[in-house]
Amino acid sequence: MEQHIYLQFFSKGSVVSNQTIYVKDIARLEGKSDILPSIMELPIYKINAKDKSHVVIDALTVLQQIHSFFPQITVHVIGREQTVLEIKIQRKIVTPVMLVLVWFLLFIGAALAIMNFHEDVSMLSVHQKLYSLITGKNLTQPLLLQIPYSFGLGLGMILFFNHLFKKRINEEPSPLEIEMFQYRQEIENYLAETNTDRRSKPWQSKSYSPFSSD
Amino acid sequence: MAIEVLFAIFVGLSGGLAVGSGLVAFITVLGIIPRLVQLTKTYKAVQAYELAVVIGALVGTISGLHGLRLSLPDLFTVPVGLAAGIFVGMLAAALTEVLNVFPILAKRIGMEENLMSLVMAIVFGKIIGSLFHWVFYVTF
Repeated sequence: MEQHIYLQFFSKGSVVSNQTIYVKDIARLEGKSDILPSIMELPIYKINAKDKSHVVIDALTVLQQIHSFFPQITVHVIGREQTVLEIKIQRKIVTPVMLVLVWFLLFIGAALAIMNFHEDVSMLSVHQKLYSLITGKNLTQPLLLQIPYSFGLGLGMILFFNHLFKKRINEEPSPLEIEMFQYRQEIENYLAETNTDRRSKPWQSKSYSPFSSD
Repeated sequence: MAIEVLFAIFVGLSGGLAVGSGLVAFITVLGIIPRLVQLTKTYKAVQAYELAVVIGALVGTISGLHGLRLSLPDLFTVPVGLAAGIFVGMLAAALTEVLNVFPILAKRIGMEENLMSLVMAIVFGKIIGSLFHWVFYVTF
């Protein structure tokens, strides 16, 4: 009797080198419960040294593997037709040192950028004008306006990135988290669309499929 | 004479139209108002915020062009300065976000876990840079 199962890929995120990917690692299945556990345990691909940073696994690769063990099963793929796995590489560089370096770089860069910005838009004369607008006095250095301004600058950035009030105000993801997610997704989409000749496939070229010739 | 006046009015109006729509487009693209609405959960007040931007731009124009002067106590500049700073800070944050700075940087150097401390580096850099600018740099 023919059996139907449904398969839906999910994003696993990252894998480590030399890990074997099983069906259960990359997809959810739905169907007759007696065969599902054995399908879940089918190996799909073993990450090896030749893989660089990402591995794309196609629905066809998974279907072929399932069919070679269970030829009588009809698999319906729901949703995405491939999943992208990111391979975690062990880094040799000492990260704390790197972190301090990059931190310092960003710190100085941000300080310099804001000074350039202030000069560029004549912020000083705007502040002087604003000060005389409010108080009627002309001051060359309206620090009473400028020091709150400086702290407000940092506060505004933190507010925008939803860092300080993350837990208190809302549970929605911050723009930065959304941005990180979109960036990762764009990479995955790019890899899924462009790299059609993948190593994760058991056959090597686009035109050849193991069942087409015989 | 009347033609000159009419032409001046026309030029002023069209210039103002271009600058005004540009300002609104800039603020809209950077998404600062939606962000503030989301943070404060005041979804119904969006129109009031629009009005605030428009009135603010008008007051800024009038006071800047006509040398308006009030005689309020000095301490009134503190909230004004703070608000100006928060707005510019959000502008700067929104700009770095539009330019995809953090995701690319964090990915390239493999510091996705330390993203927040990198953001804080920029935040402190902005505060210290700004303070240095106002307190020391301008007096040189």
